[in-house]
Amino acid sequence: MERELCLSVCVIQLWMESATRKLQGDTRAASLLQLKGEGGGLVVLLHDAASRETRKRSSERPAHRGDRGIIIMSAIRKQLSFQILLLFISCRNINTKTLGATAPPLDPTAPLQKLERSYVLKGDSHTEKVELLNPVSLVLMCTWTGSQNKPTNITGFWSKDGKEIENSRVTVQLENKQYNLKRTFSIASEADLGSYSCDFGGEAKINFVLAVPQMGDERDKPIVSYLGDSVVVPCKLDDSKPTPNTWNWYRANETGKEQIIAGQKFSIKNDEKKTKLVIHDLTADDSGLYYCGAVYGVGITMGRVELKVISFFEPLKPFIAILVEVIILVAAILLYEKSRSKKDYTAAGNGATDQTNTLSSGENNGPEESSSMRQRKV
Amino acid sequence: MTKNKPKAEGQRDEAEGQDGGWGWVLVGALFVSTSLVFGLMRSLGIFFVEFVQYFEESAQAISWISSTGLAAQQFFSPLGAALCNAYDARVVVMTGGCLAGLGLILASQATCLVHLYLTMGVISGLGWGLVFTPMVATVMANFTRRRALALGLGFSSIGLSSFAFNPLFQLLVEVFAWRGALLILGGLSLNIVPCGALIRPKRRSKSPEKINSESKPRASILHRVSSHLELSLLFERPYITYTLAVTLLNVGYFVPYFHLVAHSRQAGFSEYQAAFVMSAAGATDILGRVASGWFSDLGHFRLLHLLSIWTTLAGVFIMLLPVSSLSGSYPALMVISLLYGFCSGALTSLVFAVVPMIVGVARVMGALGLLQLIESGAGLLGAPLSGFLKDVTGNYIASFMVAGSFLILGTLTMATLPHYFSCKDPPPPQRPSPEDKDKSLQSEVEPSVTERSVI
Repeated sequence: MERELCLSVCVIQLWMESATRKLQGDTRAASLLQLKGEGGGLVVLLHDAASRETRKRSSERPAHRGDRGIIIMSAIRKQLSFQILLLFISCRNINTKTLGATAPPLDPTAPLQKLERSYVLKGDSHTEKVELLNPVSLVLMCTWTGSQNKPTNITGFWSKDGKEIENSRVTVQLENKQYNLKRTFSIASEADLGSYSCDFGGEAKINFVLAVPQMGDERDKPIVSYLGDSVVVPCKLDDSKPTPNTWNWYRANETGKEQIIAGQKFSIKNDEKKTKLVIHDLTADDSGLYYCGAVYGVGITMGRVELKVISFFEPLKPFIAILVEVIILVAAILLYEKSRSKKDYTAAGNGATDQTNTLSSGENNGPEESSSMRQRKV
Repeated sequence: MTKNKPKAEGQRDEAEGQDGGWGWVLVGALFVSTSLVFGLMRSLGIFFVEFVQYFEESAQAISWISSTGLAAQQFFSPLGAALCNAYDARVVVMTGGCLAGLGLILASQATCLVHLYLTMGVISGLGWGLVFTPMVATVMANFTRRRALALGLGFSSIGLSSFAFNPLFQLLVEVFAWRGALLILGGLSLNIVPCGALIRPKRRSKSPEKINSESKPRASILHRVSSHLELSLLFERPYITYTLAVTLLNVGYFVPYFHLVAHSRQAGFSEYQAAFVMSAAGATDILGRVASGWFSDLGHFRLLHLLSIWTTLAGVFIMLLPVSSLSGSYPALMVISLLYGFCSGALTSLVFAVVPMIVGVARVMGALGLLQLIESGAGLLGAPLSGFLKDVTGNYIASFMVAGSFLILGTLTMATLPHYFSCKDPPPPQRPSPEDKDKSLQSEVEPSVTERSVI
């Protein structure tokens, strides 16, 4: 791909030079950029042919300084163009995998997998969910048993997301007491997903909701972590859902979602149906919404997680409150005992001489017997 | 019943406890401290999920944290008992409370799993060990007639606090993440310190011994240490028998706690049904503790006989648990679980209350310490054994049967205690000391008089 880029740049430079020599540089440059995207060597041929023509024409003009330059340039350009053409044709088969959030674009000429979905409707409406992973050629078949009176012909049409699809109106014949509607859809990208409905003359409707497998229950409570700490943000698909091709993580910002790239601050660990985003060195700015996207061939399903970063002072406040309470309790208990022992001391003055030997410096609670006697009275 | 306490004899302070007033305050202190030790330990499962995610370790590695904590608590129990014998119970409990709180506070700053083992496991475990045994021994020393009821009330806090702490911890983790939650738990654990402050310092009867042994300094240290740890108990047959019985009991006792939920799920009940069974068993556990405590104190039966009855019943119900669930009937499982809960709670409040009967009130502190240490091995053995049986046989029937049989084996061992089959409690042995040998006759007569009047 780098080689292709490099070549493209070289070719662009050449063409840009030709543009300054009074040729239609803009259109050529624009067409060259298109060339790069499609990787089509055929287009190069055409343009090359066109350029040769114009060059021939220009070389026939009365030569002046600029034109001589053009003539020399055109000779070299022919050689280079031919080489570049060869390279482009060989490079055509390289898959251009783009960075970023969208599902990988497919080769339009490869045949799509065929999938059939059908439903027989007995009432007047029904919704059917269709889970899609990869681009398919989807055949939807609707069968309706009809209402009370069964006219031989009714008008049926297809609609996508509520809007009628153009040229889809057909007349449906009653066959074996049933009406049938069938249509093939090419589901290639996320835009093609949605709700497809077959409508029988406005009386009966079957909806097929095409979607990627949805994420399970989302955690509605935010994940909490501390400044400077690291946090693990998990995301998980239900076991019953199929394994995605890969996982992507996004950060919500003002303009929408921005993909997170693994590096020093973020690391992403994917494990089939689970993924973890590890954020290091948290700052207050890291709070907010994060999205995990399970990438399937045809689209991405999103899960939402909220992260809240708090400072360590938050839990410190209740902790200090409890600490204060403990200190107050202990002080109260010890003071209560001291005051009681002082009372015992003065009350049991007779037996005090014996006990003075056993009194330690800090805490004393007086003679056990006198206090327990008081207990018994109580 | 009034106690005639001759004021001169320091030993009498420890031989009898007055049932009243300050004793109930100490029961309250036991309630709070036990809930902060065992209730907290049981609810640490909430942090399990958080640790697994944050440290990215296996579930087994994380579960070692609580195993270390429990093992440390039981291992350091004799140390706590010895320190209480040597120094003041109040200081020991307050220190234990500080250590327990410190361990959790330090754990909130942990950056790797080893930190958690050391802080939440060793330091907090050491703190808990210094708290539990002294508190229990102190309460027992303060009660004679209502001992079992006091203990039952104190231990009922374990069940109640498990109910209360689970949602509380969940809330703390959601608001503050596990670091903040551990910090606040550390603060809560510091509440053990005021509980310890409520213990009144007592005169030590060991002071005469210390004076005697001053002449030979080196031998006296060993002598003192062994007397503080009450190692002489290890040579007495009644104590050894009882300890063995309690150890056997412990092997089977915890099995339902670990495996009942899994077994119910395997028998085909839903998650909620299985969890509800556990909660119901927990509720009857609390009820059983208090009820058996109250009933035992009525004095109709010997504590030892009641303990044997409850243990046998608990063993039988554990064995019936797989039978009832296999029949597929949820009410049957529920009923057996409720009965099991009641019996296991009932026996808990009596296990400790019997100890003074066997060793005498004076040596209760050391006896409890050693008992905790020895029975810790059983707890460590029980769960892996039942897990192994389950892996081998594929279901839990074998492990429940074995657990129940261990309990019945414990009862049979208890039956070999001396004077088991007599209807009255025998006089508890007095600690042999140089002074007592002179007045051995006199001291043997007096406590037996008081003890018999208890029954």
